[in-house]
Amino acid sequence: MRKRPAGVRPADYAPPFGPSDVVSAPTDPATERIEVGVLIVGGGPGGLACAIRLGQLLEEHPEVAEKLGDVPVAVLEKGKQPGSHLLSGAVVNPRALRRLFAGRLHMEQLPTYGPVHHESVYLLTRNSAFRIPPPPTMRNRGNWVMSVSQLGRFLAEQAEAGGATILPETAAERLLVEHGRVVGVRTGDKGRGRDGAALANFEPGGDIVAKVTVLAEGTQGHLTTAAIDHFGLQGTNPQVWALGVKEIWKVPRPLGRVVHTMGWPLRKSARYGEFGGSFVYPMGKEMVSLGFVVGLEYRDVELSVHDLLQEFKVHPKIQRILAGGERVGWGAKTITEGGFLSLPSRFNAPGLLLVGEGAGLVNVPRLKGIHYAVESGMLAAEAIVRSLQPGETPTRAGALDTYDRALQQSYLWADLREVRNMRQVFDRGFYVGGALASAMTVSKGRLPPQDFPNEPNASAPLLRSGRAASYPPADGRYTFDKLSSVFASGNRTRDDQPSHLRVRRQVPRDVAEMWSWMCPARVYEVGEADGDDTVTVHLTPSNCVQCGAISAKGGRLTPPEGGSGPEYTLA
Amino acid sequence: MAPTLVFLEHHEGELQKGSLGVLAKAASLGGEVAGVVLGASEDVAATGGAGSVYLCDDPALAAPLPQPRVDALEALVAQTGAETVLFAASVLASDVAAGLAARLGAGLNWDLTDLRVENGELVGTRPALGDTVVADVTWRGTPRLGLVRSGAFEAAESGGRAHVVAFSATFQDFSSLARLVERTQEVSAGPSIEEAEVIVAGGRGLGRAENFSLCEALAKELGGAVAATRAVVDAGWYPYAAQVGQTGKSVSPRLYIACGISGAIQHKVGMQGSGTIVAINRDANAPIFDFADFGVVGDVEQVVPKLTELVRARRS
Repeated sequence: MRKRPAGVRPADYAPPFGPSDVVSAPTDPATERIEVGVLIVGGGPGGLACAIRLGQLLEEHPEVAEKLGDVPVAVLEKGKQPGSHLLSGAVVNPRALRRLFAGRLHMEQLPTYGPVHHESVYLLTRNSAFRIPPPPTMRNRGNWVMSVSQLGRFLAEQAEAGGATILPETAAERLLVEHGRVVGVRTGDKGRGRDGAALANFEPGGDIVAKVTVLAEGTQGHLTTAAIDHFGLQGTNPQVWALGVKEIWKVPRPLGRVVHTMGWPLRKSARYGEFGGSFVYPMGKEMVSLGFVVGLEYRDVELSVHDLLQEFKVHPKIQRILAGGERVGWGAKTITEGGFLSLPSRFNAPGLLLVGEGAGLVNVPRLKGIHYAVESGMLAAEAIVRSLQPGETPTRAGALDTYDRALQQSYLWADLREVRNMRQVFDRGFYVGGALASAMTVSKGRLPPQDFPNEPNASAPLLRSGRAASYPPADGRYTFDKLSSVFASGNRTRDDQPSHLRVRRQVPRDVAEMWSWMCPARVYEVGEADGDDTVTVHLTPSNCVQCGAISAKGGRLTPPEGGSGPEYTLA
Repeated sequence: MAPTLVFLEHHEGELQKGSLGVLAKAASLGGEVAGVVLGASEDVAATGGAGSVYLCDDPALAAPLPQPRVDALEALVAQTGAETVLFAASVLASDVAAGLAARLGAGLNWDLTDLRVENGELVGTRPALGDTVVADVTWRGTPRLGLVRSGAFEAAESGGRAHVVAFSATFQDFSSLARLVERTQEVSAGPSIEEAEVIVAGGRGLGRAENFSLCEALAKELGGAVAATRAVVDAGWYPYAAQVGQTGKSVSPRLYIACGISGAIQHKVGMQGSGTIVAINRDANAPIFDFADFGVVGDVEQVVPKLTELVRARRS
């Protein structure tokens, strides 16, 4: 064991919160519950692919459709509409979308910015860029550039055409469990004031009960994490996340290729725990999307992914792309990064299925997850239909195990297994990690043979190194502050609602300052000293774009009133 | 030719400034324009500019509820053949516009900030993507319904009395299902911030809640209202009703005095329609100085009381 460095650990200041805050039995009388057939939580690629595939299968199996009642498939979405809260690079492997629409639609009929033809990877220093051959995992020929929020809106239309009911502006707040079986979810109240009292427009949430509940919540799933705890489904390693901040730019000259960078402005020494990089993707001839992603095991109190993105944009290499352009969008989201060894031990419980990123199905070395979300959503739909055949019922223990088997037999399982250690070795720094990762690539994951552990993000002890000194000031043209960025995300959340963020309000100064730098939406501000080395933390929850970073770094994001948060359109 | 109708909202016997602004804008586009006043007296209706005003004073319209207004407007659109109906956004007008759109199967463009006629077609302007871009919007068919962002247009001064044309309507049974039970008003000292000609607004730069008294004193001298930023409302320094900005109210006074306000874009979008903007802030780099007409770099605790004194001296 290496020696543990000193420093405050955010994990030691976690707020009181547990699965019992999220998991409970239904409370509405049986006659007032809303009954649906299959309930899907989350209108992203995973949930919507599940809904679309269910629509296809129910058409082939009318006897199963009959069992599911008047609303056979319902999708809950907390954003204003599907896509509102979706944010990704995104260069998408089209494999799963092709299977979803086989014989129905071509990739050309989906909202895309076309296939990738050219790509380059650079190792950056402050003033220079060295082009390096793309590592095999980062080759993107044959993949397609997309906006995942546009894809979400498109998939929602397809799902509705296939008979699914989409319920936007509806947060899934509790997982309803009765006699060890998942029976649905409870939706969140709307119209409560800051102190929790009902306002004039108060609408209480309600119990929605279903034969099967599919959790497709994406990163930091509110119910997914609680379900994993409640049913004891933890994987070998704890789950870890990265935070990505991205912008959409209108540019005068087309980019014409996919660009990835490593190195600057991140530091390569293992001491800082800064793993990440950037992407710049062309969106047609007139726009580019660019973003910066950093693993949340970082240690520096003053690390701010938003400000690193601003710093990255003033690099001469990037300035050449953006010069004369204009920012038209901004957003932030965490990415689930634990990989194979952090996958849950099972992907189902009686009446419950876990799909997509919420279940950890993300390939970090390849920077891909959308096709796994789509594929797992489809496999979930297929397992659901099998569990509704005569003589079977989805709430019988084991009835949904065919989903786990299908995942294990699918290409995504082999993909993820091969790169299972690649993320962890970068805790040894950029060069050692890079060398080990190469060995894994060459050996297709057979070397080294053992499994490498990792630590929860919030366990990384904090340090200070004056990191913020290099962040550029906001000039309002190429570099922006956090508040104007929150504005560009389309966030216009009602201010007078109860706080949806669970954090301790009195914490050591290092923890409070770390949150204030970390949060890309300026939710946390360091308040007055509180004696004994602690300070008060002030919150502006209505700024929150629900990226989820706080849940990885010692707090807990819960869903605010449905319809709150950003309104991503091109992200 | 069929007139363009503008819904004129009234409150306590006074037509609202916002809807008169829309009327003025509509008149400036040419063509026949008429106001519509529902549930008020002829005297009130006559204050609706110098053109014609349609009036229905049926008792069903006495309470400010939307459904009977939808019935009345539906009848008037049928009687006049009006092809365009415009509204100034308010809680009531938004309800009425949405209801009328559903009733007529008509297209409704909302949150409009400007209107113009291009090649004989009405074109609206609507900010999108959180006010980062401005989109032109049109209507595919008639009638066209438009809901204009509050405070977008200034009312024209008019000395004349309007020519009032009475009309009648039949009301649906379901329109009387909602009843007005009670009306109460939040007691405030001055004019409401939406209607005030002068606003003195305070932000976090005031330092502490008690310093809002400085803004109140200045507002009193100027006959204006006091507004606040989101941050200070959040901190509990001032009531939510006074919040100006993206998630508060949009205001367009003739004079806006920003005291200790940095000018984040979330605040700017709520007050950028103001006539003259004066900023007082200690931080010379605050974004508010980029769009203020006059700026004072200084401490609000010193500058605001002096300004109040000067105004008082000038007035007496």
